[in-house]
Amino acid sequence: MDQLFDLALFSSALRILTPILLAALGGALCARVGLFNVGLEGLMLIGAFTAIVGNHYFENTFLAILFAILCVCAFSLLFAFLSIHLQANVIVVGIAMNFLALGLTTFSLRTIFHVKGAYYDPNMVGLPKWNIPLIKDIPVVGDIFSGHSPLVYLSLVLAGLLWYYFYRTVNGFRFLAAGSNPLAARTIGIHVRRYQYGAMIACGVLCALAGAQLSLGQVTMFTEGMTSGRGFIALVATMLGQSGPLGVLGASALFGFMDAFSIRLQGVSWPSHFTQMVPYVVTIIAMFFFRDKGFIKDAQNAGSSSR
Amino acid sequence: MNKLGTWLLPLRGPLVAIAIGLLAGSIAILVAGGSIAQTYTEMWKGAFGSFYFFTGTLARATPLILVAMGAAVAFRSGFFNLGAEGQMAFGGLSAALIGLHMPGPGWFVCIVAMLGGIIAGGLWSAMAGYFDVRFRVNLLITTMLLNYIASLFAGYLVTYPFKDKTGSAAMAQTQMLEHAVWLPKLFKGMTVHAGFILALAAVVILYVYLARSVKGYEARMLGGNPLFAVYGGVRRTSLMLTTMFASGGLAGLAGAAEVLGSQYRYIDGSFASADYAWTGIMAALLASGNPIGSAIGAFFLAALQTGGMGVEFNTDVPLEIGAVIQAVLILFITVKFSWRFMRRKKGAVVDGSAV
Repeated sequence: MDQLFDLALFSSALRILTPILLAALGGALCARVGLFNVGLEGLMLIGAFTAIVGNHYFENTFLAILFAILCVCAFSLLFAFLSIHLQANVIVVGIAMNFLALGLTTFSLRTIFHVKGAYYDPNMVGLPKWNIPLIKDIPVVGDIFSGHSPLVYLSLVLAGLLWYYFYRTVNGFRFLAAGSNPLAARTIGIHVRRYQYGAMIACGVLCALAGAQLSLGQVTMFTEGMTSGRGFIALVATMLGQSGPLGVLGASALFGFMDAFSIRLQGVSWPSHFTQMVPYVVTIIAMFFFRDKGFIKDAQNAGSSSR
Repeated sequence: MNKLGTWLLPLRGPLVAIAIGLLAGSIAILVAGGSIAQTYTEMWKGAFGSFYFFTGTLARATPLILVAMGAAVAFRSGFFNLGAEGQMAFGGLSAALIGLHMPGPGWFVCIVAMLGGIIAGGLWSAMAGYFDVRFRVNLLITTMLLNYIASLFAGYLVTYPFKDKTGSAAMAQTQMLEHAVWLPKLFKGMTVHAGFILALAAVVILYVYLARSVKGYEARMLGGNPLFAVYGGVRRTSLMLTTMFASGGLAGLAGAAEVLGSQYRYIDGSFASADYAWTGIMAALLASGNPIGSAIGAFFLAALQTGGMGVEFNTDVPLEIGAVIQAVLILFITVKFSWRFMRRKKGAVVDGSAV
């Protein structure tokens, strides 16, 4: 068992949970205003691709991430317009968004970089690894929490900030009110649509960061469909966490850990098929225990029940 | 409104969506540096240019129609079954294994293999339905997650226990089926096979079921207004399980027909890379679950894909142009949903009931 559990496992779990956590926080924001966002996967994929495009043209990771945020926000605004103003079925729009992302990124990969499958440029610089001065010298904690990309720390900070926003600020209280009872919120003068648009834009920013962590964080490359279901896992993390920031953090940590663990299991000669299955199986099992009844109501509020 | 107007009204949404889709496609073509007219001409030729290309489009449409029927029967009853990919993988794999290992005359093995595909896909899908009715685990998410589990498990089976060890290729696939077990081709030298007839039969059966049968009426009622349906005595649990079995069974049949009619073996990842499952689901969304509309939608999407191949072959514009048009089209087709939604919302205010 020693070779299965060590500090590096927790360190890689932290790295893996970051994109899931960022996207899941975006999903939580949307779920709280009654928009069940199935399109996280697609938004994340666009983020991953545009971050690489930005990096290619600006040769600066900060500008690349900014570019990714702008592009993804454009798509999340389109999502918001279709589902809020045109009252289209949120789930259908989300599914279509995932397709559009897959088609567009593959198409653009061919037209911009003239390659098929994956784009990799050895000259490209990825996100830096931060060694945190004091923490890195603490024995166990330092091994786990030091030497990650800035986005890893940002994601943890954002989870805390979102918790503060939801439960400690007046504006956050109105945000929650707009989602839990839109009609009542409207009668006391809350602009529900404004909060819905705000949530979608924030979700776009978070998904862009999630995508950037994928394509610039560990490896500096883009492959077709590189999100490979992480957006859906983030969606489940949103549900498991009951759309509360800390719950989402816990759920994402569970998935990050299971994913890191499944990579480790390959080392002890499990067929890779089964180790890759582990996160999905755990997700389904977890859903038996944390049934989010609130989601059904959310979905009905949005006029798009899954059942 | 005059008669022609009421007849055209349901077509307005799809036509607007197709126009926007083609517009977005034109922009993409310009960005890629191609000529719009030439690209669309090549696309048309690639899909319908000759009898050979036309039958190729029909062959491509076969699994799409079957998956679309499976998705449509679930949508109509108000369930989102997004698990077609995994159901197809299990259906195709079961058909391949039965075809390889069952003794007997070829036609008999072929029929049993297809039934096996239906049962495998159906049970896998009904399991998600059971989780939902018994444990209230969200169907949308489980069907989606079961895709990954099914594809990986099928991948494991063809990588280790049932791997084709006769050939020199190191591909993860089963052995080739014997010639007698194959689904016959409809025309000599063409790719379209007898599965297409099965797909058309499925469309007709589903249409009659939904429009004319008591169970179909109950299903539509459940999809339209679940509370009213349950109040009216529809047994949701049994209807959900049978609907999910039928839905997954049709996806399983799609996989089986693809294995028996065109690939003659189960190849790991071949369904996923062709995007049969998701395109079929989109076709069903396109027509909001109407069987005939979904079939036309599936044919149209198949034409976009085979047309995309023609574009790739003859111009500099990549094949994914088809995928871009397709996705934009679906994105805007949902506006049609909005008209229905707004009507329903008005009704809800009148009767004052809380949903």
